[in-house]
Amino acid sequence: MTVLQLQELSKAFNGIYALSNINFTINEGEIVGLVGPNGAGKTTLFNLISGRLRPGSGKILFEGRDITGFKPHAVCKLGISRTFQSSRPFSRMSTLHNVLAGQVFGKGFSLHVRPEDEQMAHELLDVVGIAHKAETLAANLTLSEQRRMDLARALATRPKLLLLDEVAAGFSPVLVKQAIKLINRVRERGVTLFIIDHFLNLSLKVADRLLALDHGEKIAEGPPNIVMKNREVLRAYLGMRYQDEKD
Amino acid sequence: MIFFPQKNRTHEIKTYGVGLVLGLLALITLPLIVQSNDYILQVFTHALLLGNLALAWNILGVSGSISLGHAAFFGAGAYCSALLSLEYGLSSWLTIPLGGLLATGLGLIMALICLRLRGAYFALATLAFVEIPRVITDNWDGLTHGSLGLVGVPGLPSLNLGTWSVDFSSSIMASYYFVFAYFLVLLGLVRFLFASNLGLAFQAIREEEIAAEAVGIPANRYRLLSLLLSAYFTGVSGACYAHLVRYIEPGLVYGLHFSAIPMIFAICGGRFTIIGPAMAALIIYPLDQFVFHPLLPAGHEFLYGVVLILTVLFLPAGFWGSLRKIS
Repeated sequence: MTVLQLQELSKAFNGIYALSNINFTINEGEIVGLVGPNGAGKTTLFNLISGRLRPGSGKILFEGRDITGFKPHAVCKLGISRTFQSSRPFSRMSTLHNVLAGQVFGKGFSLHVRPEDEQMAHELLDVVGIAHKAETLAANLTLSEQRRMDLARALATRPKLLLLDEVAAGFSPVLVKQAIKLINRVRERGVTLFIIDHFLNLSLKVADRLLALDHGEKIAEGPPNIVMKNREVLRAYLGMRYQDEKD
Repeated sequence: MIFFPQKNRTHEIKTYGVGLVLGLLALITLPLIVQSNDYILQVFTHALLLGNLALAWNILGVSGSISLGHAAFFGAGAYCSALLSLEYGLSSWLTIPLGGLLATGLGLIMALICLRLRGAYFALATLAFVEIPRVITDNWDGLTHGSLGLVGVPGLPSLNLGTWSVDFSSSIMASYYFVFAYFLVLLGLVRFLFASNLGLAFQAIREEEIAAEAVGIPANRYRLLSLLLSAYFTGVSGACYAHLVRYIEPGLVYGLHFSAIPMIFAICGGRFTIIGPAMAALIIYPLDQFVFHPLLPAGHEFLYGVVLILTVLFLPAGFWGSLRKIS
C-alpha cells in the first residue's frame, strides 16, 4: 500500500529552485533513505512533507489523501512525524515531559494528565534507551541522548510515517550500530521510515530503497547497491574529476 | 523550572503544600492581627490586587511571550466596569466580569496585530498597543469623560446570603477579603491550568515552537488562548481596582505602571512557576510601601528597577524558581 506520494513537487526560494519536479512514492513498511550532498534539498523536502513549508507547486498525498498545504500540527495528527537535524528539545522541560508532549498532543487532546500517557512516555524512553534520564532537563542531555529523546518524542505521536533527519550524523561507529538496532525496532512497530542520511552511514545498512537528490532534482532511486553505483550519484558526491578520469 | 518534577514528588508537594497553607493562613488572619491599622491592610489589599495582576500576566508569560501592554487590559476593564456601574447603575457583580470581557475583546485585537511577532518585537508592539485604548478613552469625552477621569465610582459589591450579608465596600477589611477571594480563585485556576496538559502545551511552545507544532500542538491557537485568558483576568483585576479606589483616569489605569509591575513581579518571582509572581507582589510591594516610601517619598519606585536588575543578573529563574530548583 502506498503511504506517501509526491507528485511533481517543486519549491523555490527567491526564484532559485530548492526542489524541482520531484515524483516519488513510499510504500507501507519500507525504509527509504534520502541521500544527496549539501544543499541537495533533503531537508526542504522534509519541511514540505511535514507542513513547515508550502510547496510552490505539486501535490503531497498521504494514504491517498491530499495534504498539500496542511499545517504541521495537522500533518502530525494524520500520522506523519519527524525529528530534526539539530534536535530541537524543549530545553527547560524534563526529558519525560518532552516525550509526554508528543504523547498527549500527537493524536487527540485531553485537558487532564492521564497516567497512561506518562506510562507510555516512560516506555518510549526505555525503547530508545534513556529511561534513566527521564527527570533530567532536556538541555542537559548529550547530543546522542537528545537525538534519542527526539526520536522518542516523534514516536510518541504514534506516526505511520516517520521522517528522520540525520539521526546518525556525527555518531561514532558504536553509536551508529545502536541507531541501526533502534531503527529496526521502530520498523517492527509497523512504522514506515524516510531517513535523510547525508553521510550514508545508516541508509546503506537499513534502507530498502534510496532516493538521491542533487540541486533539488531527483537523480536516482532504487535499491542502495544500484543507486550507489549510479554515475550521477557518484558525480554528486565525489565530483566531476572522478567521473572524468573514469571515463 | 518544571512545574511538577517527578523526583521526590510527594516530599516536595508536602513541603510545598505546608508552605502554601501557612502563607494563606497568614493572609487570612492578617486583618485580625493588624486590626487597628488600616494603612497596613490597605497596602496588602493592593499587594493582593497586584498579585492577581502578576498571576494573570504570567498566563501569557508562561507560554513565552513577554507583554509590556497589559495596562491596555487593566484600563479597559477598569473603565468598562466603572462606566457600566456609574452610568447604568448595574451591580458591580455584573460589571466586573463584563470589564474582563471587554479586555478579552481587546486581547483579540492585540492578538491580530502582535501575536505573529516573537520576543522583543512582540514586547515592543504590545507597548505601543496600549496607546490605542488610552487615546480612545482620553478623547471619547461623551462616553468616558475623557481626561477628567471618573470620580465616585461605586464601591465593591455586597453579598447577600439570606439573612447574612456583607458589603465589601464598607470597610478596608471587607475590601481586603474581596480581593483575597479573587486571589484564591485565580491562584486555583492558574494552578489547574498549568498542571493540566494545557500547561504542557504552553511550556512546549515557549521552549521550541517549531518542535511543538511538529508534535501536534497548534501553537498559534494556544498562544491566542493564553493571551485571551491573561487579558480577561487582567481586565477583571482592573475592574476590581476601579471599584476599590473609586477614582480612575486614563493616564493612571493605562499608565506604564500597570504594564511594568506585573512583568517585574513575574520575572522576580519566577516566570516559570505558578505562585512565584504572586509571592513577589506580596513581598516587594509592601517592602516598597513600608520601607522605601517613607525613606524616599519621591523616588521609592527605584526599588522595582533594582530588584529587576538583580534578579535578571543573579537569579534568572526568579527567586521562587531558583529556590525550587535547589530543593
